[in-house]
Amino acid sequence: MLTVEGLRAGYGPVEVLHGLDFTVGDGEIVVILGANGAGKTTTIRAVSGTVARRGTVLFEGRDIASASPDAVVRAGVAQVPQGRGTFTDLSVEDNLMAGAYVRSGPVKDDLDRWYSTFPILAERRHQKAGSLSGGEQQMLAIARAFMSRPRLLLCDEPSLGLAPLITQDLFRVLQTLNRDLGTAILLVEQNANLALRIAQRAHVLETGSIVISGDAAQLADDDAVKAAYLGM
Amino acid sequence: MARSPYVVERGSAQHRVLQLVGFALVGLVVVRAGLTWDNAGLGKLTDVFIIAIAVTGLNLLVGFTGQISIGHSAFFGIGAYTTAILVDTYEWSPGWTFLPAVAVCFVVGVVVGVPALRLKGLYLALVTLALGVAFPNLLNRYTSITGGPLGIKSVRYLPPDWTPFDGRKDTAKWLFWLSLVLLIVVALVTSNLLRSRIGRAMVAVRDNETAAAVMGVNLAVVKTVVFGISAAMAGLAGSLFTLKLTLADPTLFTLVLSIEFLVAMVIGGIASTWGPVIGALVFVYLRDNAKSFGEDQGIDGIGGVAFGALLIVVMFVASGGLVGLARRLKAKVLRVLPRVPSAPAPPGATV
Amino acid sequence: MLAFATDLFIQRTFDGLAKGSIYALLALALVVVFRGSGQLNFAQGEMALFCAFFAQTLTLSGLPVVLAIVAAALSGFVMGAGVERFLIRPIEKKSPIAVVVVAVGLFLGLNNLVAVIWGVDARRMPSPFPNEADDFIRIGGAAVRLERLGIIAVLLLLVALLWLMFNRTRIGLAMRAVANNQPSSQLVGIRVGRVLAIGWGLAGAIGAIGASLLAPQAGLSGAMMFGPFIFAAAAATVGGLDSPVGAVVAGLALGLIDAYIVGYLTWIGGDLVLPVTFGIILAVLVLKPSGLLGSVRVERV
Repeated sequence: MLTVEGLRAGYGPVEVLHGLDFTVGDGEIVVILGANGAGKTTTIRAVSGTVARRGTVLFEGRDIASASPDAVVRAGVAQVPQGRGTFTDLSVEDNLMAGAYVRSGPVKDDLDRWYSTFPILAERRHQKAGSLSGGEQQMLAIARAFMSRPRLLLCDEPSLGLAPLITQDLFRVLQTLNRDLGTAILLVEQNANLALRIAQRAHVLETGSIVISGDAAQLADDDAVKAAYLGM
Repeated sequence: MARSPYVVERGSAQHRVLQLVGFALVGLVVVRAGLTWDNAGLGKLTDVFIIAIAVTGLNLLVGFTGQISIGHSAFFGIGAYTTAILVDTYEWSPGWTFLPAVAVCFVVGVVVGVPALRLKGLYLALVTLALGVAFPNLLNRYTSITGGPLGIKSVRYLPPDWTPFDGRKDTAKWLFWLSLVLLIVVALVTSNLLRSRIGRAMVAVRDNETAAAVMGVNLAVVKTVVFGISAAMAGLAGSLFTLKLTLADPTLFTLVLSIEFLVAMVIGGIASTWGPVIGALVFVYLRDNAKSFGEDQGIDGIGGVAFGALLIVVMFVASGGLVGLARRLKAKVLRVLPRVPSAPAPPGATV
Repeated sequence: MLAFATDLFIQRTFDGLAKGSIYALLALALVVVFRGSGQLNFAQGEMALFCAFFAQTLTLSGLPVVLAIVAAALSGFVMGAGVERFLIRPIEKKSPIAVVVVAVGLFLGLNNLVAVIWGVDARRMPSPFPNEADDFIRIGGAAVRLERLGIIAVLLLLVALLWLMFNRTRIGLAMRAVANNQPSSQLVGIRVGRVLAIGWGLAGAIGAIGASLLAPQAGLSGAMMFGPFIFAAAAATVGGLDSPVGAVVAGLALGLIDAYIVGYLTWIGGDLVLPVTFGIILAVLVLKPSGLLGSVRVERV
């Protein structure tokens, strides 16, 4: 459902991505791995439209390469930003309502569903998002993204800054949601281990170019890849 | 086909020669004006020098610490009134009043600067705005000291005996050369400040306060001192101004004057040494021509609208002012490269 | 003797609250802009002034005052949104000083534009409230003018409307989101630019209403908004630039201080009220830089 060809992106005069090609199929989980500075976040931003980019980005057949960020959301793509990006001064409920900003219909059902998927959010629904723990905020960020009923979810380093146990929970949640809702997920991560376990396909990004592509399971087993690129 | 620019290395003999030639040309023009122009023309140029001194002070603050003042008219006025009061009430010889005027303004500047330390530039702009608005009111209020709305008159500065000038008719010439010399002094002080340790610290403060603090730069002292110096320069200009005009009254030192300084600075180019001078030149020219649209003083009415629009347009089109434009043009013709240090020998290598 | 003092006190209190309401309105406008764009709109006062003159002109052609003020508010909205979209947004990227310079340019230009269009003579602005000599009610023995009560009522009404807007509407949610985290707002599909423009527009409208309500007692003239703007900016700063509640509370407090100083400390003349009040503000800010109710921002390196 997502086809990216020759994607270039950068900040001002500096080009960070030098022509990427990858796809995400219906209901797939695709992982892009890479070290710090490889351009993972930039890749996500290039798809969601929050960084200047050139090239082809087709989502469900429509070209979103020149779409504004809000148009991308309306098209059915939602992003969970790095570092959670919750609205810290707004309540949990307001955060979720903000997530549904582009929807025109009633959202009560969605609220109910996400409160039951993440009971802790229901408990804290009137608290300011900034007072939640890191893991709770990550859940909130995911729920918020899902409020717009996206068909593709972009996740930017969800494990960043989270304790290992929480991270495991997190990936389990992502896998479950992907299975139950059929939402495709494009995930960028440094934590290769967990990410590869839930993904179908994976790429490795190095200084703005994809250097390895393949089956997630194969990559996970390939010792040479693991040693050279994934520090495992 | 574009010609490739002529390249010199900074500090090299060629560079120095070019700089000297540049200064000499400007110097020749100014000196010739000083020797041949009539009093009216000299008066105009003196105005330019005075405004340039004040704007250099403002520029020091804005360009190098990233903080803005919309109240420099008050410091200008404090300097002016200090001189006027000392000359008129206490019969000081005018030449000696510069020192107290500068000192008072420095102190007031420091006092205003101290609270500014704790807050961002926003607060300083606000306080200086209040200063600019309140100052004429204060002048009107304390009539016994300031002469109230009528102000102080007959503040004359006759050429001293040791100059070649003779009596009242040469006052304009005397003030011309005096202002020029003071402007040069102020400009030299500014550029030396910039190149000193303090100066480089100032640029650091402007770009990233947190990093500067980590580097051990004492932000508090830097900001306060800079504001004080900035105010002192405006005060010096004010003293000259009142001596030239031979009077001081509250209508001369309103908020509009602060904005005029801002206009001159922006036109000339923020954060450059020549900017204030060029800006003052252009500003005085524009202002005097705007007057012919039928307004009385300062920049009221259509002139005011035009200057307001000018401020906005300059920010959009040439935020580096005229100096910025000149630099871009110059870059097509002349490129000054930083000096390349000779590489140190790698350790253990035999030369 | 005591009875005399009490009703004078009540009268001055209401005078102060009415004046403070104007400061509060302007301060609110400044806070709305600051929360969204992180800028203090130095031209807010002059923008409001322009709209007030516009309202006065409309009343000259027979339009009822209330409608004229509504028209002024609308023009204030358009002006505010236009300024954000065309003057501020393109300039913000250049440098923080650039925005202040543009605002000062706007300040100068608008103030003089008023003089060019409407001349330099002061004008009489009718009040939307009954404002004859006998339009007062007695509270505790004091004669409190209906006009004062009316202004305070407008403040309360606007505060209530704003609260409803911010907390119960979609656009209010969007504005709060943008004020808190612009990048995340983009990610949920909020058009940040449009929200910012609406914020500035709202501020423009509020300012226009404030100036229109001030004009009847202060006299509509070119210099009318200088002092009030400074007080409003000070109130916003003292209240905490991102706190609407703080702005209103501080604005009312400043109005009261102004009224009490003028009333009780007559040795401080009218022209010294500004410096003295400012001294008080300085003291508050030195002790608590983020303002009384503002949030202390920890900026990450």
